[in-house]
Amino acid sequence: MSELSRRAFLAASGLAVVARGSLVIPSPAWAAPKTGVAAPAFTASTTTGKAVSLADQRGKIVVLEWTNHECPYVLKHYETNNMQALQKEATGQGVVWLTIISSAPGTQGFVSAAEADQLTASRRAAPTSVLLDPTGAVGKMYGATNTPHMYVIDKAGTLMYAGAIDDRPTTRRSDVQGAQNYVREALQAVAAGQPVKTPVTRAYGCTVKYA
Amino acid sequence: MLLRMTFAFALTLVLAFVAGAAAPVTTAQPPSPLVRVELISETASIRPGETFWVAIRQEITPGWHTYWGVNPGDAGEPTRIEWTLPAGVTAGEIAWPYPSRFPVGIAMSYGYENAVVLPIPMTVSGAAAPGTTLVLRGQVSWLVCAKICIPEEAPVALSIPVTAGAPRPDPRGASLIAAARRSLPVPSPWPASYAATPETVTLNVTTRELAPERVAEVWFYPSRWGAIAHAAPQRARIEPGRLTLEVERGQLAEAATTTLDGVLVVAERLDGGIARQAFALRAEPRPAANARAALWAVLLALAGGLVLNLMPCVLPVLSVKTLALVGHAGGRATLRRHGLVYTAGVLLSFAVVGGTLLALRAGGQAIGWGFQLQSPTVVILLAYVLFAVALSLSGVFIVSGRFAGAGHALAGRAGYTGSFFTGALATVAATPCTAPFMGAAVGYAVMQPWPIALLIFEALALGLALPFLLLTLVPGWRRFLPSPGPWMERLQQALAFPLYASVAWLVWVVSQQTGSSGVAAALGGLVLIGFAAWLYQASRGARLTWRRAATLAVAALALGAVGLGPLTSAMSSPPAAARADGWEPFTDARLAELRAAGKPVFVNVTAAWCLTCLVNERVALRSPAVAEALARRGVATLKADWTNRDPAITRVLGSFGRNGVPLYLLYPAGGSGAPAVLPQILSESAVVDALDKL
Repeated sequence: MSELSRRAFLAASGLAVVARGSLVIPSPAWAAPKTGVAAPAFTASTTTGKAVSLADQRGKIVVLEWTNHECPYVLKHYETNNMQALQKEATGQGVVWLTIISSAPGTQGFVSAAEADQLTASRRAAPTSVLLDPTGAVGKMYGATNTPHMYVIDKAGTLMYAGAIDDRPTTRRSDVQGAQNYVREALQAVAAGQPVKTPVTRAYGCTVKYA
Repeated sequence: MLLRMTFAFALTLVLAFVAGAAAPVTTAQPPSPLVRVELISETASIRPGETFWVAIRQEITPGWHTYWGVNPGDAGEPTRIEWTLPAGVTAGEIAWPYPSRFPVGIAMSYGYENAVVLPIPMTVSGAAAPGTTLVLRGQVSWLVCAKICIPEEAPVALSIPVTAGAPRPDPRGASLIAAARRSLPVPSPWPASYAATPETVTLNVTTRELAPERVAEVWFYPSRWGAIAHAAPQRARIEPGRLTLEVERGQLAEAATTTLDGVLVVAERLDGGIARQAFALRAEPRPAANARAALWAVLLALAGGLVLNLMPCVLPVLSVKTLALVGHAGGRATLRRHGLVYTAGVLLSFAVVGGTLLALRAGGQAIGWGFQLQSPTVVILLAYVLFAVALSLSGVFIVSGRFAGAGHALAGRAGYTGSFFTGALATVAATPCTAPFMGAAVGYAVMQPWPIALLIFEALALGLALPFLLLTLVPGWRRFLPSPGPWMERLQQALAFPLYASVAWLVWVVSQQTGSSGVAAALGGLVLIGFAAWLYQASRGARLTWRRAATLAVAALALGAVGLGPLTSAMSSPPAAARADGWEPFTDARLAELRAAGKPVFVNVTAAWCLTCLVNERVALRSPAVAEALARRGVATLKADWTNRDPAITRVLGSFGRNGVPLYLLYPAGGSGAPAVLPQILSESAVVDALDKL
């Protein structure tokens, strides 16, 4: 085949590919962070207006909890005292527990700083801080899709766990009893310096109400 | 009670919120409940001992959705039902119609909007008394979401009379359930595989009968969370015969290393509208850039080739060749050359068979390994060749002039051609015998680009050639062969009988393919071959003119025999499919029907020309213990007969990464769940164990 005709052939086959076309169904693209590598760095303000950044937590184990107090799945874990018990257990061992609210203004779960503090008090919750993320910047950085959506970060800043709080993806209060709590397991493993047995699970709950 | 209160609480909160200033989705206050449910039935009465279909029908407030039970997506929860059933009635699992997509921010939900019908098979025991009325009660619970999610539940009930006669249809229920059934995914007719990189998963589907210009949209709904990113775009490329779908890899790393199950929904532009069809797809990982998998397939192929040497169709051919070695006293170099020429014969024949297979597949033909035996002409010609070799072993005619012949032929220069054709013959004779390891290797090969595919075929060839090649290359190994003697002639004559048996079996294959007329032609051809062989030998010592005439006659006879081959295929009329052995003929529709009824199903993909299949059927599938286990567990048995070419069965094979028979599939009860793939060499206990695990 001469050079010229080869080129013509390539051009023709290229055209054929273009003609066949390519279907792209648009959808928002995002990338969830991977476990086993550094957790994305972020800074967000607490209900008291203080800026908290992940980098400042080096040397401590960090739990991130995405929440929406009106979501039935969140209600399941708060009304049964399951979430609060885990918060107390963790913070009692020196873990930094950050509860994050990514609901955009005007959507379900959006609260002012004062309302957030009121919720913490009325629910007897025990996070280290509640972070307000009304733009959803932190949530999208972590690919947080659900409430509750849980993350565990070790002392070196490595993301060790991402996913559900437990293995019962329901709103049934009775399912809290006897569920396998992935966050507790991850915290125990990370504290003991062992690998997390189940580092990624399907989070369950309501979607995060981003803008 | 607590549950109800919590719902009420949640609902109040939500309503309070929605009623507030910043209404997120609906301008009106959402009706309560957001979803109305009812239980409907396909029939207005039922008959004892039969399966009947009911369905949960959900009427969903516009703008809201409920969830797909197979995989609700990144959030959400499927609809469930907790039954309270009268004695003797058992419920199957919900058969889920294919879902739609509901992107919510960075998450993707899979579910249904407006209205959905979720069919459920029910079985009523034979003890139910006609004249009574059964009341089926259930508590249905579901999550309904728009921007926000609300769990709801409601009791449902259905009264249905038991009658002795045929069930009366329920026009409304029947039409709703029939429509829902059309939305159930059907087993994919297309072989699929996927390749994963750390960032992407690329699904490859061999789509025959799909016109690229008509495809409006395709979407793959995985059965499990984690293998692909649900919310990411799916880049589809549709070419004639092939569909690739590239999507961002999901968060669960190990999910994209095993079988990827899901539903492929294809929307086709048809005259004046869009038709959607859902296919239950099963894709095996195809590590395209993974040299290890290819190497593994090559090793499997090599092992398979080695085992082929022991198969009854190959062993006699090779034994004769090995016998020749025993008697041989010639130089090492000559021997080595014979070994190499024989190997070349095997390699080249495999390249021809494998290359033809790949070329035909590329041309869109649904064929697989052993495809040549699906042609009765080829089967008959193979019978002729084996018959001629057997006659020669029996001493009816002697090609080289003197007996002891094999050895002489080997030593002589002219013998190289013989060695080459022994290689070709071994290849041809090997086709009906699928050795262990071969199935997986060949199945992998045909899904690969052709250079890798050919490499795997050649590895198979090398495995087949290796024992003889080593005997010629490593002189020391010949020590293990017994010393020559008159026993050799006896053994050679004795070895003719496995070949006669093979011929008899091939004629039986012809009988399965074409019926009695084909058998008559095949047997006539065998008589001509026998006559030609006798004539050839008888004329050896005769005068020249007589010999010339005889040679012509022999050629004419052989040609006549060969001519009968195509004639038989022209006569071919496949015999009636159903056979009275308790195995129903396989069709996709029948399998779907049995599965939908919640029955466990055993599918035996076989062919009359597949010796391994026949042995498996004899020693395992037809054994009393297996028959008893099948009956005890109520397993429906389907037989997919690939004796003649059948694209539907080729597709079934392809969807399990196979390209040849046998293939044994055991589908669990309940209508959902992937089938277990049984090994290619069956034992009674293996089958019974598999059945016990149901």
